[in-house]
Amino acid sequence: MSDLTRDSVQDARVEEAVRSTPQTSKLLLLGVSHTTAPIAVRERLAIPGDRLADATRTLAHQPGIREALILSTCNRVEILTVQDGVNEENAELRAGKRQAPALSVIQFLHEYLQIRTTDIEPHVYEYHERDAIRHLFRVASSLDSMVVGEPQILGQVKQSWTVGREVGAVKTMLDPLLQRAFSVAKKVRTETQIGNTTVSVASVAAELARKIFGSLSGKTVLLVGAGKMTDLTARHLIQQGATTLLVANRTESKAQAIADALRTPSITTGVIPLEQLHEQAHRADIVITSTGAGQVFTPESARAVLQRRKNRPVFFIDIAVPRDVAPEVNKVDGCFVYDIDDLQQVAMQNKAVRNREAEAAESIVTREVARYSDRISQAPVTESIKELLLSAEDVRQHEMARITHQLAQQPLTPEQLAAVDRLTKSLTGKLLHPQIAALREMAAERESDE
Amino acid sequence: MTLLWLRLAVILYGVAALAVLPAALYNRPRWRHIAMPAAFLGALFHFVSIAETLYAAHRALPVDTHETLSMLGLLLVVGFLILAARYRTVSFGIFLLPIAVLLAIVPAFHPGHEEIAYPLVRTGWILLHIALLLAAYAAMFLSLIASMLYLIQERRLKEKRTESQRGWLPPLETLDQIGVNSLRFGLPCMTAGLLIGSVLALQTIGPAFFADPKVLLSIAMWIAYILMIYIRSNSGLRGRRAVYLSSFVFLVMVAVWAANSLSAVHRFKTP
Repeated sequence: MSDLTRDSVQDARVEEAVRSTPQTSKLLLLGVSHTTAPIAVRERLAIPGDRLADATRTLAHQPGIREALILSTCNRVEILTVQDGVNEENAELRAGKRQAPALSVIQFLHEYLQIRTTDIEPHVYEYHERDAIRHLFRVASSLDSMVVGEPQILGQVKQSWTVGREVGAVKTMLDPLLQRAFSVAKKVRTETQIGNTTVSVASVAAELARKIFGSLSGKTVLLVGAGKMTDLTARHLIQQGATTLLVANRTESKAQAIADALRTPSITTGVIPLEQLHEQAHRADIVITSTGAGQVFTPESARAVLQRRKNRPVFFIDIAVPRDVAPEVNKVDGCFVYDIDDLQQVAMQNKAVRNREAEAAESIVTREVARYSDRISQAPVTESIKELLLSAEDVRQHEMARITHQLAQQPLTPEQLAAVDRLTKSLTGKLLHPQIAALREMAAERESDE
Repeated sequence: MTLLWLRLAVILYGVAALAVLPAALYNRPRWRHIAMPAAFLGALFHFVSIAETLYAAHRALPVDTHETLSMLGLLLVVGFLILAARYRTVSFGIFLLPIAVLLAIVPAFHPGHEEIAYPLVRTGWILLHIALLLAAYAAMFLSLIASMLYLIQERRLKEKRTESQRGWLPPLETLDQIGVNSLRFGLPCMTAGLLIGSVLALQTIGPAFFADPKVLLSIAMWIAYILMIYIRSNSGLRGRRAVYLSSFVFLVMVAVWAANSLSAVHRFKTP
């Protein structure tokens, strides 16, 4: 389905949603995230996947709540609700404090998770109507994530949406809104490069390996030395498709332990005695070193490795300080050496790229929020205009039938009848034009007031 | 009508050549949606134009320089489309599409009127001879571009120019595969094309054909081509040296092409 068609379908859904939802319904988004709450608070509010359906169902059954969605990830817990509208004067329970709809959601959290409301309140943010739409679009597009542009959040929002639909908590108002959020997120991904760069050292190393080898499927990784970063990088490379892992370490038992820890049914692992490193290194496409012993690989040993590999490229990822791979190795044809500073440099530059792209993404979100809000505000007017036109057409048809009947003795010719038909249509249109324009104007004014 | 198709093809190649720049250099995927259909439609119109020309002239093969160059342009665009589909890269279009425009623009706006009197032009064998050799030329050219792109990508990775690494070039190993596979595709084409040409020449001109400079150069080109494949496959030659070798063989091919003017028996025009 093209974007245009999808948008039209969604617009129709929005109009349908507005028609079937009382005009007093209020959209409210309330939550905590990594920007407002420490992990100690977030972990108490987190709702595990297996309880999400129950929590959503319970929330949707709270008085005044028509629709509900809960998004719970390690970085945020957010609740999106459509609530019955309340009189604005009564809604303000306490001057300068939260309104009733927000309090009812906080009350739900208090009761469901057994947390004191005073523990939550200082960290909670709330957005209403247009601001809520904007926040949802930003979250789905990963603009509010800890690592801007990370792709997981969209899947997590989709998961919450699925659960919400399954338990009947996401209905005519939230469903089109969430679907629009997904299409906005897709637009952000395709029209900007926000998700095209990697920002952690380990993922940068994997990305560079892909630049050299394309697919890492079937590639062999050699770990020389052990360490947390080595392990993390190796895991990233395995995730990208590397299938064989060799480990060389001063202590062979430790090498064996690392190999065992990383072995899976699809990953073959092996141990190389450190003294045989140079004889065996040609088996590896990617070498990760972290011994800190200095000069494990020199240009001469690298050339020997390449010769044995028939000049197939080798990627050295040198995480050690002092460096294990002599910088001159990078000058050997077919050898690519990146040390920890190089990797960090790439990661920082990629972060800068993401931030730059985030600005473009924000513009897309702003545009889409305006468009969606306009649709919502215009939908009732469109409906009224439709009704007005239909009613006028009924009157016109009736009058045409009457005049045709009156002139039954001296019937008009088909040409005359067509001329009268055109005349009445034109008159109806011109007479209704000021009313239609006024309706549209009123809707626009109401929108700008809000 | 034939010219109209060809002119349309040139315009579409031009559009594709422009659209491929932001798609490849600035990683703007939307432009790919313009470049690829434009290149595909251009190739389609180009094919229709060539087919109509040859059909109207009651012959099955291009006989003048412009027609032959135009067909080479079509083969290059087809090569680009195949690479884009197989390796998901439009980078080759940066070079191939403008060249296709240049190769097709002259016959599109200044068509030649050369005729050839050889009865051979009406046989299927000579068509096969020309088509296979043009395919070999196109394959060699693709391989040369792949080697050059390899060199650029290798330098960027070595110099750690990270800002530009997001970009447009396929991975090194992919470029290497494209280079070697193009050569492997080109070798049988060249061998069969030269063999067919030799047999036809023996039948029509006799052994004197083999003393012709064009023919001698063609044999040298074939040997150079085989040597290049042997060296690349066995020593894993990549990067700078691969570019030098490919450039040398490419120059030999250009010399073979240019040798038409030296040849007494192998010319586009009737001698």
